[in-house]
Amino acid sequence: MKRRTIVALSSLVVLALVAAACGGSTSSAPSGASGTVTKGGTIREELQEFGWTSGFDPTGEYLGTAWALYDQMLMRGLMTYTHRGAEAGGDTPVPDIATGPPTVSEDNLTYEFELKTGVMFGPPVDREVTSKDIKYAFQRINTASLSALYGNYYCGVITGMTCDAKKVETDIEGIETPDDTHITFRLDQPVGDFLYRLTMPATKAIPEEVAKCFTQAGDYGPFLISSSAYMFMGSEDLDITSCDTMKPISGYDVQKGMTLVRNPNYDPATDSTEIREANVDGLQQAINTNYDDIFQRLLDGEIDVAGGTPPKGVLLKFETDPTYEGWLHADPGDRTWYITMNLFAAPFDDVHVRKAVNLAFNKEGVRKAYGGDKRGEIATSVEPPTVLPESVDINPYAANTGAGNVEAAMEEMKQSRYDLDKNGICDDGGACDDILFLGRNIDPWPEMDQVAMASLLPILPGLTLKEVDTSTGYTTLQQMKKLVPISSVPGWGKDYASPYGFDYYIFHTDGIYSCTGASNYSLVGLTKDFAEECGIGAEYDAYVQNNGEVPSVDAKMAECVAKPADEVNACFAELDTYLMETAVPWVPWVWANNWTSVNPTVTLYVFDQFAGTISYVNSAVDNGLAPENVA
Amino acid sequence: MSQVRSAEPEVDTLAPLDGDLRRVEGRTPWQLFWIRFKRDHVAVGAGVVVALLVFFALVAPLFVSIFVHRGPNALDQNLTDSIGIPILGPSKTAWFGVDGIGRDVFVRTMYGARTSLMVSFIGTGLSLIIGIVLGLLAGFRGGKIDTFISRTIDIVLSLPLLLMAIGLSVACGASIEGCAGGLIKTGVPLVIFIIALFGWPYVARIVRGQTLSLREREFVEAARATGFGTWHIMLREIFPNMLASIIVVATLLIPQNILFEAALSYLSVGIPPDTPSWGGMINDATEGSLYFVAWWMLIFPAGFLVITTLAFNLLGDGLRDALDPRSQR
Repeated sequence: MKRRTIVALSSLVVLALVAAACGGSTSSAPSGASGTVTKGGTIREELQEFGWTSGFDPTGEYLGTAWALYDQMLMRGLMTYTHRGAEAGGDTPVPDIATGPPTVSEDNLTYEFELKTGVMFGPPVDREVTSKDIKYAFQRINTASLSALYGNYYCGVITGMTCDAKKVETDIEGIETPDDTHITFRLDQPVGDFLYRLTMPATKAIPEEVAKCFTQAGDYGPFLISSSAYMFMGSEDLDITSCDTMKPISGYDVQKGMTLVRNPNYDPATDSTEIREANVDGLQQAINTNYDDIFQRLLDGEIDVAGGTPPKGVLLKFETDPTYEGWLHADPGDRTWYITMNLFAAPFDDVHVRKAVNLAFNKEGVRKAYGGDKRGEIATSVEPPTVLPESVDINPYAANTGAGNVEAAMEEMKQSRYDLDKNGICDDGGACDDILFLGRNIDPWPEMDQVAMASLLPILPGLTLKEVDTSTGYTTLQQMKKLVPISSVPGWGKDYASPYGFDYYIFHTDGIYSCTGASNYSLVGLTKDFAEECGIGAEYDAYVQNNGEVPSVDAKMAECVAKPADEVNACFAELDTYLMETAVPWVPWVWANNWTSVNPTVTLYVFDQFAGTISYVNSAVDNGLAPENVA
Repeated sequence: MSQVRSAEPEVDTLAPLDGDLRRVEGRTPWQLFWIRFKRDHVAVGAGVVVALLVFFALVAPLFVSIFVHRGPNALDQNLTDSIGIPILGPSKTAWFGVDGIGRDVFVRTMYGARTSLMVSFIGTGLSLIIGIVLGLLAGFRGGKIDTFISRTIDIVLSLPLLLMAIGLSVACGASIEGCAGGLIKTGVPLVIFIIALFGWPYVARIVRGQTLSLREREFVEAARATGFGTWHIMLREIFPNMLASIIVVATLLIPQNILFEAALSYLSVGIPPDTPSWGGMINDATEGSLYFVAWWMLIFPAGFLVITTLAFNLLGDGLRDALDPRSQR
C-alpha cells in the first residue's frame, strides 16, 4: 500500500486556498472601540430557546449552534476547523487530535491517523483521550437507538457500519485501533470528502465510562464530558462511580441556559492558537423568551452577544445611528433560503409550472421583508457560493433579475398542461384552485409570505396561504402523504463545507428516509416502491405518465463524490445545473448571511464559518466577569 | 297578552286645567324605549358611530375600489426603506400611511373593521343562540336539567379564557387541517368558535335568571292554562319578555368580543396575517418597536379599536337605560 500523506496534505492546502479566495465575510474585525484583544471575561449571550434536535447529545444533535459549542469549546476529534471566517479558511478541515493529515492508501479506501498525546478529558473522567474514544463515538453513530441523524455519511461508507446495531458495544469491522495513538478507517467506497466527515461532532471523542449509561437518543447531552478547552460548570461534581449516581451537571439546564468554564485538564500545548485562542474565561448562554428584551439588554450592555434578526427598531439603529456602527455582523452562512415545490403535487408536477414560479418569484422583495440586502446575496442556484464557488455562474432564470418577471413567467406557464386557455395563468380548476402555500407564522415570515404570494398570484391565482409555527411547518413538510405543494418554511445549510455535505440530505433519495421524516421535501428521486409504501403511489404513477422518469441526482452525486478533490466542484456544478434546469424542485431566493449583534464589550469578533455562529473560542470580551459570577 | 305591562303609564291621562282634553295616545314599550333613548345624546352619538362603522365595513371594497384603487394586501415596497421600514406616513397617497411592506394602512383599517365586526357579530350571535336555548331550558325546566346546565356554566366561566383560547388556537394550528377532524379551521372560523364557546355562559346565566322570574308570572300561568306546550311558552311567552335584556347583553358582548379577537390576533393566534385585523395590525406595529418610527401603524388601528369598543359600550349603556329605566348603574 503506497502512502499518500503528501497528496492528502496538498488537498487540504488547495481547499484552504479555495476557501480563502471565496471568502466574503465581514468577520474577524475588532468591533470594540479599542480593538485590543483582552484575555479573560465571559461572553454573555441570550437565546429564546436552545432548540436542540437531540438533547445536545453529540451523536444525534443536528443544530448548528450546538455544533459551534462542541467543536469550538467542548469536544475534540481527529479533524476540526479553525473556527474562523471563510476568508481565513474556516470551512477547511484541519487536524485536531490527529498529529497531522492521515495516511491514505492509493485506492483511497484506507485512512490511518496518529493521535496526539496529552489530550485529556475534563473532570471527573480525568484521563487521556485515546483512539478507542474515537472509535466509541463511531459505535454510538452505528447504534440504532441513538438516532445519529447524519449517520449515512459513515454507514455504508465505513466497512461494517450499518447504523442499525442494537448495542453500542457492537464492533465495527472497518475501524481498527492497534494502540492508543493510532486509528485506521477502511472504506467500502472512496469518498473524496472523508476528512470533512471526520470534522462532524458525532465523530469526536466520547468516554465510554460515562456515555455507556446513556443508550437512548439525546440522553447523554446533560452529562457531556469535555475533551477541549471548556466544560460545563460543575462538571467536577458529577459522580461517575455508577450510572445511578450520575445527575445532570449543574452548569446546564435546558430550560434556563448553560455556563461553560475553562477545563483545568486542557493543555494548550496539544492544540493550536490558530484553532482555539481560548481568550475568554467562559461563556454563559441564558434563555430569555422575550426577543425584544434580549436586544434591549444587548443595547444596555447587560449581555455581549445576540444572534438572529434584530427587531426592526433596533435594526434601524444599527443601520443609521453612528453610535451603533460595527454592532451588527453579517457573515456568509453557507445556507440557502428557498421555496420548495413538491414534484408530485399538482400543479407543480408540471416542470413548466415550477419554472414559471422561478421566473415570477420576487426574490428582492422577500429579501427586503427579511431584513434587506445585508441578509445575503440573491440566489440564482441551489448551493451557496461559499460551498460551491461555481454556483454564481448558474442562473437559468436570468429573465428574473430579482424582482420577478411576470411576463416571462406567463410565457413559461403557457407551456403547462394546467394553463388550459394558454393565457399564462394556471386555470385547470382541479389542480389550480385552492393550492396550499405553507408558510411560517413567526416574524418576519408573515411579511415575507405576503410578498411571495403577491408575486405568484398573477400566474397561480388559486394559491392559499396557510401559516403555522416553524416546528409544525417542518413536520408537515416531512409527511409525504400530505403532499404540501409549495412552501416557504424551510431553509437549508451545509452539514460540512463540501457540496456533497450540502446536497446529500436535501436531494438524494436517502433524504426521503421515512414516510414521515423526509428532508428531501420536493421528493427528488422518489422511487415507486417508496411512493406506494407511503401512500402516494397514484401520484407517482400520474407523474410518470405525464412526465416520464422521476428526476434523480443519486447517480450523479455518487459520481461526484468519488472524484478527486480538484474535480469535485465542477461535477457538483453540473449537478446543480441539472437541479435548476431539469428537476426544478426549488426557487432559491437568497444565499443567506448569518447575523450576529455584539456589544462593544466584545473587543474581537471572529466568525466561525463551519458552525455559522460567532467563534466563542477565538473572539474576545472585555467585561471583567468570571463565569461563576455571571450565572 | 304576552307583553308585560310597563311600569310607565301607557296612556297620558292628565287633563289640562283649562278643561281642554288632550288626545289620549297609547304607546307600546318600544315606543317608550325610543322616547327615552332619544333623550340620551351620548347613546345616540354612539349609535351613529356604530352605524357608520358598520356602513364603512360593508362598503369597504366598493369605497376602496373607487377612491384608493388598492386592495388590503396590495403592496408597494418602494414605500419602504432598504430594511423594510415604512417611509410614507399619512399623506395624499396613503391617507393613514403604509406598513412594513408598503400596504395601505387606511385600506387595511377599513377591512379590519369588516373582520372585527364580522367575527364579533357572528361569534356573539352564536353565543346568544346557545345561551338563550340553554338558559331558557335551565330556567324553565329546572331540576336536573337546570343543575347540569348551571354547573356547566360555572365550569366554563371558571376557565381562564385567554389561556384556553391560546391553547385551542395553538392546538388547532398544530395541523394544517385544523382540529375536530378538520371541522374547525384556524383563522376566522376558529376565533368565532372560541368566542361562541366561551361567550354563551354569560348569556345563559342572565336568560336563566330572567326565566326563573318570568315563569311564575300570571301570563305564563294563563298560557299554561290555555294549553300551550313548553316550547311555545318558552319561545312565544317568556322569550319576548326578556328581549330587552338580551339586546343589552349583546351590545356589551360585541365590544368585549372585538377586543378578544384583537387580543388573539395581537398574540398571533387569531386572524391570519393575510386577513386584515386591527389586532394583527397593532402586532405589526409593535414588532421590533416599529411604532417609534412609524407611529401611524399603531395609532390608526388602535384608535379605531378604542372608538369602536367605546361606542358599543356607550350604546349598550344607553340601551339598558332606555329599556329598563328602573335598573341602577
